[in-house]
Amino acid sequence: MFITEILCRILAKHTVDTQMIDSTTLILTLMWGAAIGCIYVLLATGLNLIFGVMKLVNFAHGELLMIGAFVSFSVSTSLGLDAYIAVFISMGVVGLIGVAVERLAFRRVLGADKLNEIFVSLGLILIFDNIAVLIWGEKSKRIISPFENMGLQLGDVTISFDWLIAMVFVIAILIGLVFLIKKTKVGMAMRATSQKSQASMLMGINIEHIYIITFALGAALAGAAGSLYGIIFPFNPYIGALPTIKAFAIIILGGLGSIPGAIIGGLLYGIAEQSAVIFLGGIWRDAVAFSLLIIVLILRPTGLFGEKSD
Amino acid sequence: MVNNKLLAAVIIVIIVIAGSVAVWQLMPTEESIKIGLVAPYQIPVGQDMDRAAKMAVEEINAAGGVYVSSLDKSLPIELVFADTENANPDVAITAVTRVVDQDVDLLIGGFGSSATLAGQVYAIEKRVPYIITGASTHLVTRRGFLPEGNPTRIDDAEGMSYMFHYCTTTYHYSETVAYFFAEAMKPLLESEYGLTRDLRLAVLYRDDAFGQGVWEATKHFIEDGNLPIDIVAEENYPTSTTTFQAELTQVKAAKPDAVYVVDFTTNTATIYRQGQNDVGLNTIYIAVECCEEPEFYTALGEWGDYQLLESKFASYAGPPFYLPMMDEYVADYSEKYGQVPGMMGADTYDAFYIAKDAIERAGTLEKSAVRDAIESCNLDQMLLITESGKIEFSTDEDSYHEIAPFTFVEQLIYDETLGECRPFVIWPENCFAGTVKQADFVLPENYAPGS
Amino acid sequence: MFTKEFTKENILKHLQSTNGKLALVTIVVALLLPLVLNDNFMLQVLTLIVIFSIYASSWNLLASSGQGSLGHAAFLGIGGFTSSLLAINLGVPPIIGIFIAGIVSAGIGLLIGITCVRLKAWFLAMVTFGFSVIAETLFSHFDDYTHAVLGFRTPALLFSDRLPFYYFAVLICIISVTLIYVIMKSKMGLAFRAIHQNSVEASMIGINTAKYKLYAFVLSTFFAGLSGAIYAHFMRYISVAVFTADYSFKPLMMSVIGGLGTIGGPIIGSVIMVFIDSMLPNIDGVLQLALSPLFPAVSNVGPSIRLLGLGVFLVIIVIFLPKGVTSLLRKTYQYLRTELEGEKQ
Repeated sequence: MFITEILCRILAKHTVDTQMIDSTTLILTLMWGAAIGCIYVLLATGLNLIFGVMKLVNFAHGELLMIGAFVSFSVSTSLGLDAYIAVFISMGVVGLIGVAVERLAFRRVLGADKLNEIFVSLGLILIFDNIAVLIWGEKSKRIISPFENMGLQLGDVTISFDWLIAMVFVIAILIGLVFLIKKTKVGMAMRATSQKSQASMLMGINIEHIYIITFALGAALAGAAGSLYGIIFPFNPYIGALPTIKAFAIIILGGLGSIPGAIIGGLLYGIAEQSAVIFLGGIWRDAVAFSLLIIVLILRPTGLFGEKSD
Repeated sequence: MVNNKLLAAVIIVIIVIAGSVAVWQLMPTEESIKIGLVAPYQIPVGQDMDRAAKMAVEEINAAGGVYVSSLDKSLPIELVFADTENANPDVAITAVTRVVDQDVDLLIGGFGSSATLAGQVYAIEKRVPYIITGASTHLVTRRGFLPEGNPTRIDDAEGMSYMFHYCTTTYHYSETVAYFFAEAMKPLLESEYGLTRDLRLAVLYRDDAFGQGVWEATKHFIEDGNLPIDIVAEENYPTSTTTFQAELTQVKAAKPDAVYVVDFTTNTATIYRQGQNDVGLNTIYIAVECCEEPEFYTALGEWGDYQLLESKFASYAGPPFYLPMMDEYVADYSEKYGQVPGMMGADTYDAFYIAKDAIERAGTLEKSAVRDAIESCNLDQMLLITESGKIEFSTDEDSYHEIAPFTFVEQLIYDETLGECRPFVIWPENCFAGTVKQADFVLPENYAPGS
Repeated sequence: MFTKEFTKENILKHLQSTNGKLALVTIVVALLLPLVLNDNFMLQVLTLIVIFSIYASSWNLLASSGQGSLGHAAFLGIGGFTSSLLAINLGVPPIIGIFIAGIVSAGIGLLIGITCVRLKAWFLAMVTFGFSVIAETLFSHFDDYTHAVLGFRTPALLFSDRLPFYYFAVLICIISVTLIYVIMKSKMGLAFRAIHQNSVEASMIGINTAKYKLYAFVLSTFFAGLSGAIYAHFMRYISVAVFTADYSFKPLMMSVIGGLGTIGGPIIGSVIMVFIDSMLPNIDGVLQLALSPLFPAVSNVGPSIRLLGLGVFLVIIVIFLPKGVTSLLRKTYQYLRTELEGEKQ
């Protein structure tokens, strides 16, 4: 504890006394961390699916989140639909975009060097960002939900209904996903493919179809995350980059291919971030989260719940 | 085997490459005055500067262009774009080098303190007059006076004389905010709550050159003027942050009377909203003038009700505006572009007229003469209110090539019909041109002082 | 370990091979080009190409051992700041400073390499990325010492004139690339490639994978730091912006587009990417005039359309040329050769 005290003194430029942190602040911190973590978990889960089944690295995943937010925005403003119905439409649209991306861009580079995949995704980032700018302009937008400004009062603190609904959505989608993977034929095929694609080909599973479905699903999840994000935060065409990095950090922290790992990883990440702000100061947000990642990887090189195989 | 598709692709690539080199080398040199616009096209402010610039150029060209007596003719202005992307210093260096090597007569623009400081170096070297309209650091014109040994210092007085700063610096707006708290808010706390102690101020600022610069300048004024303000919390955060509940919780624990937010539009709007709605910090928030953009009002919604904004160009505070020229500019811009202008474009718009005036008085495109003419500018104020009512560039060391802008504080009031807040100037009361104050400063209903 | 390589016969043999001739031609072109072009901006572009060649080659070296770093910008920045701060605080002449910067960078590379040695590719990528984020935060936080936030003007390296600087950069580039070539062709390079192919099999045939991976890290980060220092003294400016992800992705893109694992790849990639970054913005004006009415939401469509086109180009090129441009050049060369030989007959 002495060491952490010294570390805090050196690293923090606080004028607020660290002893003033009480239990309510801590609980609130955990809660804010969990709430924002949920959206990241949704994004990370989509990424995890794609990575787990296809072994594909897509740095443009966050751009799918961004497109999801913009599609939701367009749908709710021009068609006048409820923001939460727009989430479902957005999921569908982004899922289809995912299919197009998989077939046109990633299909050809799959199997080649991983670095080629990264390269393609960097190109896709430029494409998506600039298409968004050309269609919607570069100014920030926000999606107005029917629960705008309504929330749960806990003393002075309010938790917006939008945050709570987002958490509910995330939980519902995750439950649906687990059901899909564990109980349906498609899900089993996906799991088989993630183990060893050659073996599953022998079993008569059409790998190409599975890839399309997986990518579409992952993209739809990203679209959902984006729509929920857009209700809570103002967004612009360039917001995709940061969530992608956080999503990758989360799935690596939690262990590649592990859904419970991604969930715990996401919550941990969110909490670590928020705690860093309280104890050390805002600027340490990202550094602390990554330090946590590095420490976990030193102790467990495949992540918290990662499998031993590559 | 080289297949045909590949060959076709390679040929296309070669054409594009050749095209870009050709455009650069063989650009038609129809006679015109080339002005380089240095702006960050990946951020909304860059687009705003671009729109304002184009409007100014079109107006000037439509009215006949700029008369150059040495050539005995009027020439149109031609805009040359220098995209600094998202105000990245290295991109700025390359962009400015490219346009200066394309023989521009003048540069206008420059957003972002580090990007402008980095990019201006080549312009200084090549003696190209540069009217800087988007950087808030005073160093862009005063880095020549830094102490020896300071790495940012530039030892080239002749070159530095080509730099002009037509914009407010961090000192200008920090002074306004500091004195607002001391002279307008503290008395109100006394009269409403009987509090005679110092005003408790908390600050939330983005961790980059801009945020740090503004906060350092504010502290300087508080100390220098011995103002009755007590700094009770200083929270900074990485520029990529999007949620601020943790920081706001820290600020709340310090029990402030007011919170100063130093960030751009979307983050400030989020802080106002999360501070009041999520964290329950019911206090007075004040934002810096960079937030005076339409997207701020949209993102803020009703959470700006009774909150404050320091500003120098309030495109929403009217009609009727506090300055007659604003009526015309806002109407023209809205009609041409279908949106209300932001504050970033205003300085840029004026700068083109300053350039026109300077070239006409110089009678030549010769850069040293143009520089002299800008220095002796005596135009009436345009979109920016100045202390004297004129646009004048100082030659004193402590304000070298800066203007003396007038900044003010607005209070935002929610308008249900619009679904957004609208600003009213509350402080100070007068400027050179007359009365600017539009309304009295009123504390919000649910306001609670620090202690 | 390397002295064997430097025998006269060996050097002559290398030089007389196709690759060797190509290298000589490239060097001659590099030396003569600025004199032919006689343009200041192009000279700036050429110097950047040379500097990024060193940087990209350093990344490529690391990648050849199966360690694809996503945080190389950290070393670019550490190199740049080390040399610049030594120069302004202690008066160390940059000509020495750049090499100290390389050594410091390698030292930190050693520490980071130690943590990364046991990690599989993805995890290593994330950890290296994490280090660049941490580096950015640390340099910002200790701004009082680093002046990183606002950035500062770095001193010139010997010459403030652009032409001599260019030749100096070319010299360092030739030395660096030659050293990297020697490393890649040596036993160590062989070990790298074996580890890249299959780490498990490599250790089964007796290669100490951890040791070699660490060597790769240290060597790579030395050159990265060196290039960062030269870059800082060339741009005459350094700030915390050098730690951003853009600079980490650049060497990756250059190496992939040029040809991963090859010597010429990063250099060709550097030529392509620097050229695109510097020259393509020229077409903004034309794009704006031609296409703005189609997109009313944006004021100046030039930059957006240019970047969109660039994105499409990048995706297409890696789909058609998965092994990079060097593979295309090789195929063209072989095609021409068979054609010529056909004609002879």
